[in-house]
Amino acid sequence: MTDNKEKLDFTEDKSSRRPKSTTPSTVKKPENTDALGAMIKVTIDGKDIKVPMGTTILEAAKELGITIPTLCDHSDLCVAGVCRICVVEVEGQNNLQASCAYPITSPIKVHTHTRKVRQARRHVLDLMLSKHYGECYSCVRNGNCELQDLADQYGVDFYRFGHMEKPDKGTDESSYAIERDMDKCILCRRCVRTCVDLQEVGVYDVLGRGEETHIGTFLDKPMNDVICINCGQCINRCPTGALHAKDPSDVIWEAIDDKNKHVVIQTAPAPRSAIGECFDGVEPGTPLTFEMNTAIRYCGFDKVFDTNFSADLTIIEEGTELIERLYGTLVEGKNESLPQFTSCSPGWVKYIEHFYPEMLKNVSSAKSPQQMFGAVIKTYYAKINDIDPADIVTVALMPCTAKKFECNRPEMNDSGYKDIDYGLTTRELAQMFKEAGIELPKLKKSDFDDPFGTQTGSGVIFGATGGVMESAIRTVYELVSGKKIDDLFDHANVMPVRGFDGIKYAELPIEEVGPVPEILEGKIPNWDWLKGATLKVAVAHGTANAKKVLENIKEGGKLSECHFIEFMACPGGCLGGGGMPIPTNEEIRAARAKAIYAEDEASEVRKSYENPAITKLYSDFFTEGPCSHKSHELLHTGYKVRGKKMV
Amino acid sequence: MQVIEREKVKTDICDLKKKYGDDRSALLPILHELQNKYNYLSDVIMQETAHSLDIHPVEVEGVVSFYSFFRTNKKQGKYVIRLCQTISCDLAGKENVARQLENELGIKFGETTEDRMFTLEYTNCMGMCDKGPAMMVNDRLFARVTPDKVSRIIADCRNNFIKTNFPDIVPSNIVKAGPILENDADKNAGLKKALKMKRPDIISEIKESGLKGRGGAGFPTSVKWQLAAAAKSDKKYVVCNADEGEPGTFKDRYLLYQHTDKLLDGMTIAAYVLGAKKGYIYLRGEYMYLKNMLLDKIEKRKEENLLGEDILGKGIEFDIELRMGAGAYVCGEETALIESLEGNRGEARNRPPFPTDVGLQNHPTTVNNVETFIDSALICAQGADWFKEHGTDQSTGTKLFSVSGDCEDPGIYELPYGITIRDMLSEVGGEEAKAVQVGGAGGQCIPAKQFDRKISYEDVPSGGSIIVFGPDRDMLKVAKNFMEFFVEESCGQCTPCREGNPKLLEGIEMLEEGRCSSSYLDELIKLGETMQVSSKCGLGQSSPNAFLSIVENFKSEVLGRVPQKV
Repeated sequence: MTDNKEKLDFTEDKSSRRPKSTTPSTVKKPENTDALGAMIKVTIDGKDIKVPMGTTILEAAKELGITIPTLCDHSDLCVAGVCRICVVEVEGQNNLQASCAYPITSPIKVHTHTRKVRQARRHVLDLMLSKHYGECYSCVRNGNCELQDLADQYGVDFYRFGHMEKPDKGTDESSYAIERDMDKCILCRRCVRTCVDLQEVGVYDVLGRGEETHIGTFLDKPMNDVICINCGQCINRCPTGALHAKDPSDVIWEAIDDKNKHVVIQTAPAPRSAIGECFDGVEPGTPLTFEMNTAIRYCGFDKVFDTNFSADLTIIEEGTELIERLYGTLVEGKNESLPQFTSCSPGWVKYIEHFYPEMLKNVSSAKSPQQMFGAVIKTYYAKINDIDPADIVTVALMPCTAKKFECNRPEMNDSGYKDIDYGLTTRELAQMFKEAGIELPKLKKSDFDDPFGTQTGSGVIFGATGGVMESAIRTVYELVSGKKIDDLFDHANVMPVRGFDGIKYAELPIEEVGPVPEILEGKIPNWDWLKGATLKVAVAHGTANAKKVLENIKEGGKLSECHFIEFMACPGGCLGGGGMPIPTNEEIRAARAKAIYAEDEASEVRKSYENPAITKLYSDFFTEGPCSHKSHELLHTGYKVRGKKMV
Repeated sequence: MQVIEREKVKTDICDLKKKYGDDRSALLPILHELQNKYNYLSDVIMQETAHSLDIHPVEVEGVVSFYSFFRTNKKQGKYVIRLCQTISCDLAGKENVARQLENELGIKFGETTEDRMFTLEYTNCMGMCDKGPAMMVNDRLFARVTPDKVSRIIADCRNNFIKTNFPDIVPSNIVKAGPILENDADKNAGLKKALKMKRPDIISEIKESGLKGRGGAGFPTSVKWQLAAAAKSDKKYVVCNADEGEPGTFKDRYLLYQHTDKLLDGMTIAAYVLGAKKGYIYLRGEYMYLKNMLLDKIEKRKEENLLGEDILGKGIEFDIELRMGAGAYVCGEETALIESLEGNRGEARNRPPFPTDVGLQNHPTTVNNVETFIDSALICAQGADWFKEHGTDQSTGTKLFSVSGDCEDPGIYELPYGITIRDMLSEVGGEEAKAVQVGGAGGQCIPAKQFDRKISYEDVPSGGSIIVFGPDRDMLKVAKNFMEFFVEESCGQCTPCREGNPKLLEGIEMLEEGRCSSSYLDELIKLGETMQVSSKCGLGQSSPNAFLSIVENFKSEVLGRVPQKV
C-alpha cells in the first residue's frame, strides 16, 4: 500500500494572517488553455508568441529567449514590481510597464530596448548605485552580484548621480549566522518577501517612508535580538552583498596552519550536490562528493568524514525514541507526546522554540547529525586515536546558516568541549578552495576517511525534503517487520515522501511483525503491539508549511493523528539551505535533489542500521544501545522556550 | 508596573478587535484608538497589537512608521502643534509663524518642550490653503495664523481651551457657486430617483453626462462602475476617496461638511449599481474634526432608512463605515488607499488588475472622489443634459476649484470646465500672476505666456487645485517646496520616485547655490522624464511635473544664481 500520497488541502488558511503574497497581484491564468480567448498573441521585439492569459511580459519574453533585466523579481516570491529595472514599452501606452508585474490580458506589442527603455533602465541603475556602497573588491558577492552584473551590462562607466564614498550605517554582525550590511541594500524587498511570505518568520519589513524608507527589523534591533531562525533564505535571495553569512574561514585556516591542532571536517549530504555551482561551467545537480574530499585534504584538513554517519546515527536514536514513545502510549498507557517531530534542522528548532514553544515536548531530543558527530569526535574518536579533544577542531560543512547558530548553543558541549567549533557553508568552502587555487571539477576523486566514511544512501537523502522520513521508514519498517522495505517500494525508494509538495502525508501499515532486533533488546519485549497498526507520517519543508502543520495539529486535524513528522526550515530541505550556492530557484533545487537521490541509488548501504560504522559504535562505545544513559548524555539535548516577546 | 501596563494594553486590544474585527484591516483604527489613549504607540503596544492580529511586530512598525500621524516617541508634548509647510501656506508666510513658534516655546521644530507640554512639527497640506498659514494643535484647526496670534494660541493651550476665541471648524469661503453648489433639488432626490431606475439605465445616464473622475485622473465614472458591476464576485465595495491631500485642494473638506447627504446618496447609488453591500469613506487624518459629524450623519440615515438592510423599502442593503487615514498623501491614489484600508502601508499596487476586478480584500471595488459621488447623485436627480449644459465636449459639467496663493479672493469657485486660466485669474483677482500651478504638486506650472490654455481633461487637467504665483515669487523656491513635499510623501516603494525626487531636490539646491551646470540640469530633466514614465503609480509619475515645468519655463530665472549669504 502506502503510496496513497494524499494531498492535503491547505488552501483555506484558517489563521487570520494573510501573507501579502496571496494577494493576486497578477491576473489568474486560465485553467483550460484550450478555452476560447485563453491564449493571447503577443509581439515582443517583432517576435510573435501565444501565451495563456495572465502570463507576464517577462515570462513571455523568457519563452521567446529575450532577456529583460530584473532585480526585485524572484521566481520563489510574489510579484513586487518595485525596482523598475525591467520596464518595457507597450505600444499605445505612454508610460513604461514593469514586465515582471504586467499580466497580458489583450494582444499587445512590446519593445524591450527602445531609447526610452534604455534611458529609464540606466537611470534606475544610476539611482541605485548612488545609494549603494559599492566596494566591490571587498564584497562577499564580488563576481556573483546581480547589481554588479547589470552595471557591467549597461556599461556604467561613471556615477551619473553620485556615489556613496563611505559606509553610512555599518554592518550588523551581532548574529552567529547572518550579517546585514544595509549600505548595500537596494530595497528590492526580496528579503522581506522571503521572511514574511515564504518563511512566515517576519524578521524584516519596510520601515519609514519616502527618503527614509529602509528595510529594518523590529525597532531596528540587531539580528541577535530579534526573532530570526537563521535559515538564511534571505541571503540566498539577496541580489547584492547586503545580506551574507558570518564567514569562519579565516579562523579555520588558522587552525589548519596550527600544527598542534587536529582539524576534522564532516561534510553534510547537500553541499556535495551543489558546490560545483560555485565553479564556472558546472551545471546544477553535478555531484562532486569525491573531488571535494581531495580538495579538502589539499587545503590541509587532517580528516574528512561523512555526515552520513551521524545521519544514520540520528535515525537509530530518533527511531528508538519514537518506538519508546509509541510503546509508552500504546502499551504502557503513558501520555507520551505524539506526533514526534524531527530535530535535525536548527532553523526549524528555533522556529518552534519561538512560535510554538508549547509543542516543544513533541520534538525529538536527539541532536542533529552535525552535533552528534561533534560529540562522537571529541569523545569516541579522540579516545580510539589517543588525541586530546582539546586539540581537535571540528568543522562542519553544511548547506546551512542556522548550523552556525546551533554549534554555538551553550548546551552543545556535552563532550566537555564545544562539540562543533565551526559551521562552514557550501559557499564558504568553495571560496576556501578558490583561495587555495583549487579547480574543484578537475580534481581526482578520493574516499572519505575511516572510521566515519561509509557512503550510505540513508544518510545522503537527509539532504532533500522527505529524506529523514524515508530513512526512518526504511529502518523502522525493516526492524519491526523483519521484512525488506524493497518489497513495498521499488528499490526501497519511498516515493510518497519525496518531491516538493509543501506538505506530504503517507501511511505505512504494519501487517506482520518480526523478532526484536539485537540493537533494541531490552527496550521492548516484542513487536506484537504494532501488528496491524498503521504508521502515519508527514513531511513539511519551509517554515510557512511547518506553521500550517502545527496549526492543523492544534485544531485536532488530520495531522494530529500522525506518529512522526519531518520538518525542515528551508524550502526543498537542506538542498535549499541558506548556505547553498546563489542563486536558488525550484529548477536548481530539483537538479540538486536528483543528484542526491542518484547518490542514494548508487550506495551499497541504504539503511541506517546496516551502516557498519554504526554497528561498531554501538558495540564499542554506546554499549547500552540507543537512547541509553550514555547516548542521552552525548547524543541528546533539550530545548529552550523562547517565545515571541521582543520587548 | 510594566506587567500591569502590558496587560492593560492587551485588554484594550481585545476590546478594540471586537469593535473593528480581528483581521489586519482593523490595524489602523486600532492604532488610532491606542494612540489616543496612550498618547503614543510604545514598543509594547506595537508588539502586542501584532501578536493579537497574528502578524509580525515589524509589520506593525512598518505601518506605524509609514503614516505621519502615528507617533512612537514617548517624548511627545501634550499639545502637538503641526504647522503646514506646503506651498500655499508657505506663500502665505508660514516661515514667520514658524520662527515665532520657536521663539515663544524656546524649541526648534521636531522638538518637545522640557515640561512636555508642546511639540513642534511640520505637516503637509491640510486643506486650509485659502486660509494659510494654517496649523493644527492636536485635532484643532487654526487658520490665517500670524506671528502675533501665536502667543495667544499657546496661552489657550495652557488653559486647556477652556476659553478660546478660535472657532472649532474653520469653514471655507465659497466665492462663486454654480449649478452643483446651488442645487436646490429635494433632499435625497437623486437617490430616490435612482432606486426607481434599472441599474444599466443609471450607468447609461452617467455615461451620457460624460462625468469623469473629479479627483484629477479623469477616468469616466460610468466605465468604472460598469466594470465593477460586471465583475463576478460575492462581495463588492464602494469606497469614497476623502483623502484630499493634493496641495492646494480643499473643496472636498467643504463638500464633506456641507453636502454630506448628496455624497452618501451618491455612494448608495453606486452600491445599488454594483450590488455592493458595504462602503467605506476613507477620510484623511487631517480632517479628524469632521469624523463625528460624518458618523452622526451615517447614523441618522440608518434611522431614516436611507442606509441599512432595506433602503427605502427597495430591498437594497448598504452600510457605510468611516475609516481614518493617518497622514500619507499617497493614500489618495486608489490602490494605495485600498492597501491602507486593508491595514497595510499605503503603497500602490501593480495595475492591472484594476480595483474594479481585484480591489478591497480582492473583491471588485469602485473608488471615487467625494465630488464625483455628489455629481453622480445630482445627475441622477437632474439628468445628464442638465449636467452637460456646462463644460466642453470631453470635459463636461462644472468643477469645484480650490484657489489659493497670490490672489485677492482665495476660496472655492465652481466654474465650468474649459475656462481659460486667464479668465479664471480675473475671477479670482490674480491678473498680475507670473505663473499658475494647476493640479497641485503633481500638476503643471503654467507660465503667463500660456494663460490662454484651458482647464480641462484635454488641455490642462486639474483635480481642482489652482495656486497663483504673483509677479515677485521666486519660482525656484516654489519648485523646492514641491520637491520637498515629494521627497517626504513618496511611499518609498519604487526606485525612480524614491531615489529620483531627492536627486531633483539636490539639483534645486545646486541651482540655489548657483553651481549647477546646464548639462547637469539637462541630465536632471531627463531623469524627470524617466520618473514620469517608469514610476509605479500616479504619485511618482507626476512628481517631477512641477520641477520640469518650472525649469523649462523659467530657465533664465533659475540658472546662474549668486548664492545668498546667510
